[in-house]
Amino acid sequence: MPHILVIEDDEITAREIVLELAAHGISADRVHDGAQGFQRAQEPHYDAITLDLMLPGMDGLTLVKQLRERGITIPVLMISALGDVDERVRGLRAGGDDYLTKPFAPDEMAARIEVLLRRHRQEQPAQTKLRVADLELDIISRTARRGPRELTLLPTEYRLLEFLMRYPGQVLTRAMIFESVWGLRFDPGTNLIDVHIARLRRKVDNEGEPSLIRTMRGSGYRLG
Amino acid sequence: MANPGKNLGIHWRATTSRLLLAYGVFFVIWGTVLLGSIYWEARHYLENRTDTQLKQQIGYLRSLNEDHMLIALNDYVVLEQTNYNAWGLFDAHGKWIYGDVLQIPEGVTPDSVTLRLPTEKVVSGPFAPQTPTLSVIATRLDNGQILVLAHTTRIAARVGNIILHALWWGLSFTLVPGLIGGLILNRAPRRRIRQIESATQPIMHGDLHRRLPVGERGDELDRLAAIVNDMLDQIERLMGEVKGVCDSIAHDLRTPLTRLRSQLYRVQQQMKEDDPHAVLIEQCVSDIDEVLARFRALLRISELEDRRRREGFVAADLGQTLQHVHELYAPLAEDQHLQFVLNVDPDLIVQADPDLLFEALGNLVSNAIKFTPSGGRVTLSATRLDAAFAQIDVVDSGPGIPEAQRQVIWQRFYRGDAGRDVPGHGLGLSIVAAIAKLHDFELSLGEGQNGTSIGMRCRLQNPRLIA
Repeated sequence: MPHILVIEDDEITAREIVLELAAHGISADRVHDGAQGFQRAQEPHYDAITLDLMLPGMDGLTLVKQLRERGITIPVLMISALGDVDERVRGLRAGGDDYLTKPFAPDEMAARIEVLLRRHRQEQPAQTKLRVADLELDIISRTARRGPRELTLLPTEYRLLEFLMRYPGQVLTRAMIFESVWGLRFDPGTNLIDVHIARLRRKVDNEGEPSLIRTMRGSGYRLG
Repeated sequence: MANPGKNLGIHWRATTSRLLLAYGVFFVIWGTVLLGSIYWEARHYLENRTDTQLKQQIGYLRSLNEDHMLIALNDYVVLEQTNYNAWGLFDAHGKWIYGDVLQIPEGVTPDSVTLRLPTEKVVSGPFAPQTPTLSVIATRLDNGQILVLAHTTRIAARVGNIILHALWWGLSFTLVPGLIGGLILNRAPRRRIRQIESATQPIMHGDLHRRLPVGERGDELDRLAAIVNDMLDQIERLMGEVKGVCDSIAHDLRTPLTRLRSQLYRVQQQMKEDDPHAVLIEQCVSDIDEVLARFRALLRISELEDRRRREGFVAADLGQTLQHVHELYAPLAEDQHLQFVLNVDPDLIVQADPDLLFEALGNLVSNAIKFTPSGGRVTLSATRLDAAFAQIDVVDSGPGIPEAQRQVIWQRFYRGDAGRDVPGHGLGLSIVAAIAKLHDFELSLGEGQNGTSIGMRCRLQNPRLIA
């Protein structure tokens, strides 16, 4: 069971994070201030950190910078009231792995934590092939097949499928898909991503079978 | 200020210049009238004197006997060198006997008034005077001969010249330094107008913190600048209030709405798939998402109004950006059975934030796709206009925007009549407008009845000079 350190001074936000993570089967410890957070973050049994940027004691940016300076690579999800693009860039440059703006939907936060955890786990062995059920993606030749059937994918469709296959069984929100596949962070309207998913589905799914890419109520999509 | 004609125009339109010119004209007229009347009076007086002298002289000459008279006449000519004199003696029938005057000039009758005649009608030849007119008088002598005396009006002419010179010099000495002085005086206000002009540029571009320069003299321009500054204070305060109210509503409502959403979400998670309320809850969640998206867009516009974002500008290839926009939205267009065409000229590089440019174009394209009925056509193009500018156009074959609504479409929350039944929050174009403004790109709405055409004129980076 993954173990998360929640560094957050706001009572309500902290409770929400812990509750939501628990609902996803993730346990969490919570600390109130930066200095204490910095101490605890160096303990080896945590798998990821959610980090408020405005903290008493030591601010979030300094905290993550000092962690990285000490060679600690634990994934960090930064949470900030400042939605500014510059702020986000600064956060990621300091060593954060992802950035979320307050107020956030808890499921979005949990989905991002899960992706961070998985990405961190995957980092060690460099995979050349991704497999989910009978779906197979060759990263080197950039080809995909479903069982015996070769899939002809456009570049965008390939990138979308690759992203979904990297995090199988995991809820990916539309915002996460848009950010990762297109590298953009604005609101493209909900049905744009849906249209892209629908096209991918038509190519990936076998006729008469339920879709391999499942729509999750109110949040996003899940492969497998 | 490169155009001299424009420069002259600015000179001419300045209040001081006009005043100066009007005063100059008035002064010339006044001076001419004054000196003209002096001239007229003096001339009149001198002519009267000449006439009297002539009369006296001819009276005196008449009283002499013939021999004496001829000597006196010669003396008369020689002694009065400075004023040209001539005479002629004629017999009773008007036949010439002696003198430079070779015939009785037309109109001259003996023992009558002094006449002023053109010189060439009286004397001719190398000794004729340079003056245009001569005073001529004639008398019948006791022996019946006729004596004609001619006398220049040179004194009168000379006085006239002196007065004319006086007028000329007087005007020159007053008008020329006056005009030069006026222009110099005019330069200071014009420099200040230019300062004010350059100070207003950033204000017009949205930097409401700037103020007009106010000097210490407290003259008209300073007073005007101070009034404008007071107005700007007020405008800034009001704008700040409006924006602040807008932003803080959006900001403050976001937190409770997010909380409401997460509670609904939790309820949804705990429900069984077949619970009849599940659909209702899902609808609620998506409605809240809609509201949150609206607030996000509002706050995003405020964020875009911060001009510091320009620091993040890089060289962006329009072709590449448009290509990506096309790729992203092509499936959406295809789903609605629309033809989605991309036309891009090569090598269009602009200074921009590529992500923001993408967002703006994405908004325009997504609008075009949304409002075009199936079977229609949407075109995304980038065209080089000249060495310095390119234009991005998003053209669709939808219902178009009615003339009356064209002014307001960039305003926050505006939605056209045609869009009432299409989902969206009406902030898309405001975001586009904010992004365009940040980049100093000029938005334009195409004329014409068929479909909508929105253009964005972009300044190209390092425009190549046409050799």
